[in-house]
Amino acid sequence: MSAATVPASAGRGPAGWWAWARGVEGRRLVAWILSLLVLAVMTGPSGNNGSPTTGFTGSLLHPRVLVFVALGVAGWALSALRRSQGERLRRLNRSILALPQRAVADRRNRLLVYLVVLGVAIAYPLTLSGFWQQVLVDQIGIFVLLAMGLNVVVGYAGLLDLGYIAFYAIGAYSGAYWTGSLPVHPPFHLNPFWVIPLAIAAAMLAGLVLGAPTLRLRGDYLAIVTLGFGEIIQIAATNLQSVTGGAEGVSGIPHFSVHVGGLHYAWKLSNLPYYYLLLAFVVIALIAFHFLADSRVGRAFTAIREDEVAAEAVGINLLKYKVMAFAIGASTSGVAGLLSASKISFVSSEYFTVQLSILVLVLVIFGGMGSLPGAVAGAAFLQWVPQILRQHPLFGYQPQDLYIYLGALLVVMMIFRPEGMLPSRRRRRELALAERGIGTADAMSGSSDPAVGP
Amino acid sequence: MRILGSPRGARRALRSVAVAAAGAVALAACGSSGSNSGSSSSGGGSTSSGPTYTIAYEGPLSGGNSQLGIYQKFAVQLAINNANAGTTFGKLPFKLKFLPEDDQGSGTQAPTAAQAVIGDNSVMAVVGPAFSGASKAADPLYNQAGIAIVTPSATDPTLQTHGWNNFFRVVADDNAQGPADADYLAKGLKVSSVYAIDDASAYAQGLVGAFDTQATSDGLKVTHETAPGTTQCQAGTGNVQQYGALATKIKSSGAQSVFYAGYYCDFALVAKALNGAGFTGKLLSDDGSESDSFVTQAGSSVAQGVLASCACQDITKNSAAASFVSGYKKLANGDPGLYSGEAYDATNAIISVMKGIGSNVTRSAVISGLHSVNYQGLTKTIQFQSNGNISGTAVYIYKVEGAHMVQLGAVTSLIG
Amino acid sequence: MCFTHNFWNLTVQGLSDGFLYALIALGYTLVYGVLQLINFAHSEVFMSGGFAGYFVLNTLIGPRPPHGAGSVGTVVAGIAAGAAAGGAVAFLLERVAYRPLRRRNAPRLAFLISAIGASFFLYNLAGKEFGRNSVSIPEPFNLSTRVFSLFGAEVQTYEVLIAVSAVVMLVLLDRLVATTRLGRGIRAVAQDADTAALMGVDIDRVISNTFVIGGLLGGAAGFLFGLSSGVVYTMGFTPGLKAFTAAVLGGIGNIRGAVVGGLVLGVVENWGVSCVQSSWRDVIAFGILVLVLMFRPTGILGERLGRSA
Repeated sequence: MSAATVPASAGRGPAGWWAWARGVEGRRLVAWILSLLVLAVMTGPSGNNGSPTTGFTGSLLHPRVLVFVALGVAGWALSALRRSQGERLRRLNRSILALPQRAVADRRNRLLVYLVVLGVAIAYPLTLSGFWQQVLVDQIGIFVLLAMGLNVVVGYAGLLDLGYIAFYAIGAYSGAYWTGSLPVHPPFHLNPFWVIPLAIAAAMLAGLVLGAPTLRLRGDYLAIVTLGFGEIIQIAATNLQSVTGGAEGVSGIPHFSVHVGGLHYAWKLSNLPYYYLLLAFVVIALIAFHFLADSRVGRAFTAIREDEVAAEAVGINLLKYKVMAFAIGASTSGVAGLLSASKISFVSSEYFTVQLSILVLVLVIFGGMGSLPGAVAGAAFLQWVPQILRQHPLFGYQPQDLYIYLGALLVVMMIFRPEGMLPSRRRRRELALAERGIGTADAMSGSSDPAVGP
Repeated sequence: MRILGSPRGARRALRSVAVAAAGAVALAACGSSGSNSGSSSSGGGSTSSGPTYTIAYEGPLSGGNSQLGIYQKFAVQLAINNANAGTTFGKLPFKLKFLPEDDQGSGTQAPTAAQAVIGDNSVMAVVGPAFSGASKAADPLYNQAGIAIVTPSATDPTLQTHGWNNFFRVVADDNAQGPADADYLAKGLKVSSVYAIDDASAYAQGLVGAFDTQATSDGLKVTHETAPGTTQCQAGTGNVQQYGALATKIKSSGAQSVFYAGYYCDFALVAKALNGAGFTGKLLSDDGSESDSFVTQAGSSVAQGVLASCACQDITKNSAAASFVSGYKKLANGDPGLYSGEAYDATNAIISVMKGIGSNVTRSAVISGLHSVNYQGLTKTIQFQSNGNISGTAVYIYKVEGAHMVQLGAVTSLIG
Repeated sequence: MCFTHNFWNLTVQGLSDGFLYALIALGYTLVYGVLQLINFAHSEVFMSGGFAGYFVLNTLIGPRPPHGAGSVGTVVAGIAAGAAAGGAVAFLLERVAYRPLRRRNAPRLAFLISAIGASFFLYNLAGKEFGRNSVSIPEPFNLSTRVFSLFGAEVQTYEVLIAVSAVVMLVLLDRLVATTRLGRGIRAVAQDADTAALMGVDIDRVISNTFVIGGLLGGAAGFLFGLSSGVVYTMGFTPGLKAFTAAVLGGIGNIRGAVVGGLVLGVVENWGVSCVQSSWRDVIAFGILVLVLMFRPTGILGERLGRSA
């Protein structure tokens, strides 16, 4: 900000106040109040095209606006307080966390922590109502898996993929195809369980086909091209109705079942069995990606994300690793698609929208790009909130306004907490360094030639 | 052991546990109260007493297709309010509550919405799901739970083929409207060729498929094209610029008529484009275009003489429906729209069955009651075939005259 | 060839679409020139222009359509309203979503994500406040009257309106960039921001003004587009994406390139639709995008704002 700092000796007459208002603190107060006013409009009544101003007048020219102004002032005061007491608070923070941190430094305690979390994940859903179990599978579980996969592409390797749902679609259609539910029939029918490797292979192939020609592009362009590809997949799925069932969709996709040796089990409509299946996949993915992050491949990803030119100079084959990241992300998405299709028993091209791809991106960003616990917790949280608000409507929130909040959340997060809520340490350091002018924290800056990277 | 990661990782895990724990605690608070969920509201007046039962509505209340859901939701709510006040059925031996659930018209959100409904033990029947895609996903769950589902608008003809005894539908399915439209063009208007367009939505693709088959067997020369629309005239990224080129194509194909399966805003653009290209043949669309908004959006001069079909009667002309229309306007602060009348009738059919059962209503009793119901509704007599489809499948043709869609008559009487 | 028997009709329609793409594409190209940033939220600038034009014309035009000078007046009012709304939204976008990030030296990725967030926020907010149904703008005059014939193709008043408005705006833009101080500032910042700063150019003001100019053009295009296609809160997405394709096609950062790219894309799309089903129209545009980026990423005209213009 280029505002001049107001000398402490500025008078407190009208001129003094005006100077203060134009100074840093004044601007911050104005910014806080304006932001809360925007929130007032977001949570306020809606308008329609006959009366476009009713939403605004109902939100702002109404006593409730005072609550928001008051919140704005309070927020400003708190942030000013935090800034002035910052050092003291930081020390306090560190001392509070010291004990637990020392506790988990011990390996045995860490194992205990993981086992406790796993235990909760296994036992807790048994106590939930049918609705929440459904949410846990359809809304939370599937999206956690998707977020983990996208986290590898966007978070580990720094490649912005806006067409991620296309791989989900491919997984779902693979499931529909190999179980004989599509209008075109496969050479032989398979149980959805055995389709898993086929879905992974199809998604990986798609990732390769999409990735190989486009991964040489710069970040922004890659994003737009993947967006275009996502759209193309959805359009093709809708138009080729005789192959995919189009927007009308195909139903009757069989649920999972296992008939191997002496083991016979069929998943049916109920949620818990699917939840445990999904949990198994999530745990497998968690372990796999955890190893991946610290492995040679993972370090190559990190190098690419931080500085492509340097990475290439050190001998990392950019294209190979980028395609690998893409393929890993794609296969995770494909599995999620297969699981979802088999559980709901229905697939339609109407579902695979760009908006959904972007939703998964929001989940990853919120949790923290490149952070595995961030992706899991962030996705779970952001998918849980709309459901809880559905049961207990709060303070002017209407379900169709969800994306207004998500959009605002993205903007605010990029300004104030770009590393996400549960960031990876490395990513936070990258961003802090970039802010100070050292390094650029991503693979997208540098030359502006769209084809060549930085 | 590497699997445990580093102390750093464990610290992160601690934080995740904290987040998860907070979430779990909150979930617990709500999970146990999940059965008392939803924004139920009881109707005005208190001329009914006794136990309280709930009628649920499942449809798109948010997202791109919400307008359709809203038209139905208010109609259901109005029916419940009227029943509670005693105006429709006199004094009832129970009170009724309303539970609207939002599925966004999507097959993936529908199971969650269905579970919310099923979890509420006071729900005796469901009006909906509104959309065919959502129905395909949610109906198996409802079937498993044994709740009657009466849909006012899911016209996919495969829905009644699964053998679900709890499935009922108060409108004619696509297999009725499409062929009726084809017959009208071939035998009523006596054209020899038709250019059939669908807007790539689930609804239109089904309808136009049935249309094409019948048109071909009626001897019409059929050219089919898909032109993605804006989906119920709301969200969706339909390409509105495409109609110019499409109209040019149609004009040069020499087709004598155009059949458009989709919704009024896209049909308005099609009509305008065809008018601009100098097309002079007949234009016929489906119930999605049977709306006065079509006239506003296409412009009066372009819209004159354009036709639309609907497996529904014009209720605003029906004197018995006048009180429905005024009641709806008061409740919803807007006019009733597509399928409002059907949703109202569906709800009333359910309530009439419940009244017949008495004060001890159960979900299975409602299902059996619906199988033998014979209720005179606003739009038609509600009586179901054994597979749940409505008995009687008259399709009506409407024509734009002045600023409104005016009903010409039933297809069967128009083709003589 | 499949498009030859309707060639001139399709070409006229294609040019008409193309001018609209060009107007929107200029917004992308200008911002890219000075910031090397794809303003993903530019599609919402376009959308706000459409709504502004709708509200203004709804107020001005009563039950009876205007004639003559009244018609011209309402059209100009609509364009002005659209442009003003577009400019305002673009200005706010820069201030709220991008400037704070520039201050923090945020990575490119953050800008793009913020743009996506801003886009989501804006169009969903518009849906909430203005209703989610599509509406049509009352006609200031009969848009489909035949004005003249071009080799057998009928050119309608709407198409003439677009062409005239677009050409006027493009000429104004060209003059602005070539002769005014602001224009020199834009070219300087596009060429080398650091040196420009050293030479005394107020970078913040130039960037802000660039956004506004792009917004004026995009908003006006939104109104013109809405005249024939109606206005709905999601109207920005597809035209925005295609306009970006046009900008890349012509050479991103190049003003004349944006115009050329827009016209070429519009025409090729319309020719293409006569060869394949209408439903593949968007695939044509995205296919062009992918091919251009793979084989000639600098676009048709290839040179950048700083060097040419």
